[in-house]
Amino acid sequence: MSGLARRLASRIVVAVVMIWIVASFTFFLVRAIPGNPVQAEYETLVSQGVNPAQARAETQVIYGFLPHQPLATQYGHYLWQLLHLNLGKSISYTGTPVSHIVLSAAPYTVILVLSGIVASFAIGVIAGVLAAVRRSTRLGDVLSVSGSLLHGVPQFVMALLLAYLFTTEWAIFPFGAPYDASIPVGFSPAFIGSLVSHAILPVAAYALSSYGGWLLTMKSSVVSVLGDDFVLAAELRGIRPITRLRYIGRNAILPLFTILALSIGFMFGGSVFIEDIFDYPGLGQLLLQSINRRDYPLMSGAFLLITVAVIVANILADLLYGVIDPRVRKG
Amino acid sequence: MATAETGVQAASPGTGEAAVRVRDLTVVYATARGELPAVAHVDLDLPAGQITGIVGESGSGKSTLALALLNAVQRPGRILSGSVQVAGVGDVVTLGRRALRQARGGKIGYVFQASQSSLNPLKTVGKQLLDLGRSHDVADLRQLIREAKGLAEEMGLDPVRALGSYQHQLSGGMRQRVGIIFALVLNAHVLVLDEPTTALDMLSQALVLGIVRRVHRERGLTTVIITHDIGVVAELADRLAVMYAGRIVEEGRTEEVLASPLHPYTAGLIAAIPRIVGDPNRSRPLSGRPPDLTTVPPRGCPFRERCPVAMDVCEVEDPALVEVPGGRRVACHARGRGVAVR
Repeated sequence: MSGLARRLASRIVVAVVMIWIVASFTFFLVRAIPGNPVQAEYETLVSQGVNPAQARAETQVIYGFLPHQPLATQYGHYLWQLLHLNLGKSISYTGTPVSHIVLSAAPYTVILVLSGIVASFAIGVIAGVLAAVRRSTRLGDVLSVSGSLLHGVPQFVMALLLAYLFTTEWAIFPFGAPYDASIPVGFSPAFIGSLVSHAILPVAAYALSSYGGWLLTMKSSVVSVLGDDFVLAAELRGIRPITRLRYIGRNAILPLFTILALSIGFMFGGSVFIEDIFDYPGLGQLLLQSINRRDYPLMSGAFLLITVAVIVANILADLLYGVIDPRVRKG
Repeated sequence: MATAETGVQAASPGTGEAAVRVRDLTVVYATARGELPAVAHVDLDLPAGQITGIVGESGSGKSTLALALLNAVQRPGRILSGSVQVAGVGDVVTLGRRALRQARGGKIGYVFQASQSSLNPLKTVGKQLLDLGRSHDVADLRQLIREAKGLAEEMGLDPVRALGSYQHQLSGGMRQRVGIIFALVLNAHVLVLDEPTTALDMLSQALVLGIVRRVHRERGLTTVIITHDIGVVAELADRLAVMYAGRIVEEGRTEEVLASPLHPYTAGLIAAIPRIVGDPNRSRPLSGRPPDLTTVPPRGCPFRERCPVAMDVCEVEDPALVEVPGGRRVACHARGRGVAVR
């Protein structure tokens, strides 16, 4: 197990470096975007005839701080605060700590994205095995075509389609908001039911848009494993068909774990569209809002949290890979 | 231990008790030009308790024949006609799915090339042995593992390490021995080895061949070795069958076939072996290339274009495999016409 611990330690070092790079990148990126809200407020006041000193003081009252230091100093300050998990204060939600806002929005996105991935991965992989094993039958054809079709539909189109069909055309599912505000918050069946029914469509949008990718990848992976010598060897040794299918499945799924880690990042990116379309208050929507309102601290905070989520997911996938593939394990 | 199935009526080509009787076996592969035979009308007996070597160039159909012995020809190939009677099993060509699965591994063991990865890379050898036992409804799995360890020890492997290893932790020679454990642990009485020494270094080759000889003798097996290496056959096999273009062109006792080949192809194969002693230039490669499925001529002798003694009749008539005195068989029009085959 010390091999695993060493592996984990090295991955964490890499993760910290990656987080630092992303944090720095977003820090400079958002400051390179034209349109500084503090500056804009200050300039508005000055143009209204307020003298500069007073305008600066008033702006500082509104925003609680003033970005007057040189960029390098700001950067150092930002990193130092980051080490203390302090992401600063939001501009649009005046004075509220950014960490507060992003952490309260995060569960909605994380849970939805993860459910979507798990659902599409499980269904897509099983369908992919079927499509590969039965590839010369009608079932195989139908599965493959369903995969290609769904794979070709972009996430936001899928989300729009689902929203239109199931909240407007046939109002089966509620639209927006993570739960019905009239139900008291708590561990009651009614509240949880409300959470689930609000989450179904966004989860379906995530799942349907990635199902095709899993199916097609798994299918080609299974087909290639079917050509491996050990599959024929197992047949020639009279190994039971169900055991052979397990051998094939476990070998074929390996490359998909790498893609799984990558796709988590893609899914979080998709949350920007999907949450916007379903008016669902997660990180994606928060990010969009913060961009519209030029809320730098919130923007960097949301970016950073998404980055951390993707990196953590990657580490998990990598460790999982080590568990299921003995060749990756050391020793 | 192996007794021939009663009721096998096909003409015996002069051998005694056969553990495996192949009769008029034709295996075809579906190609763009229709189904073409990779094995054509093969008759072959594998005498019980003996080692039979099947020799041929790539594409001669020898591996397809080996798979057909287990009715395991892979798509797009299929057995078109014929029978493969295995003692204690019956005709594997017409066997039901479950009985066939039990026969594979249970009665007939198959060993792959060392370069081929015949093990699931994600499971240890021991766990795969357990899968094998469960697949064959072995009641006492502990006993199975004990037997596997015994076999491992017999072959010079550390039994605990061998069973605890993954495929990638084993060398070529070790893999081959593990393959033999899988083939024999359920007490199969027919052992099929497909290119058992290809891709092994010389020392491992010698080791594996020695092990094959020993387990063959100790367990009273009926063994088939598929190879392109006449040296392997010369060292090990009691009988030798030479394949060309899906046909058996010559068959007989190994020493006799090697000492006085009756078919010009066999003679060519022997002449092509480089000598350790003497002038290496004395080894003469066979001219021309072996035919593949699509280039086998539809009629006449498939070897005629490379044959030093080809005659007019070879253009039109495919020579039948006929018995000649001394319990040998050969398929050549030039046989017995005083043509020096050397």
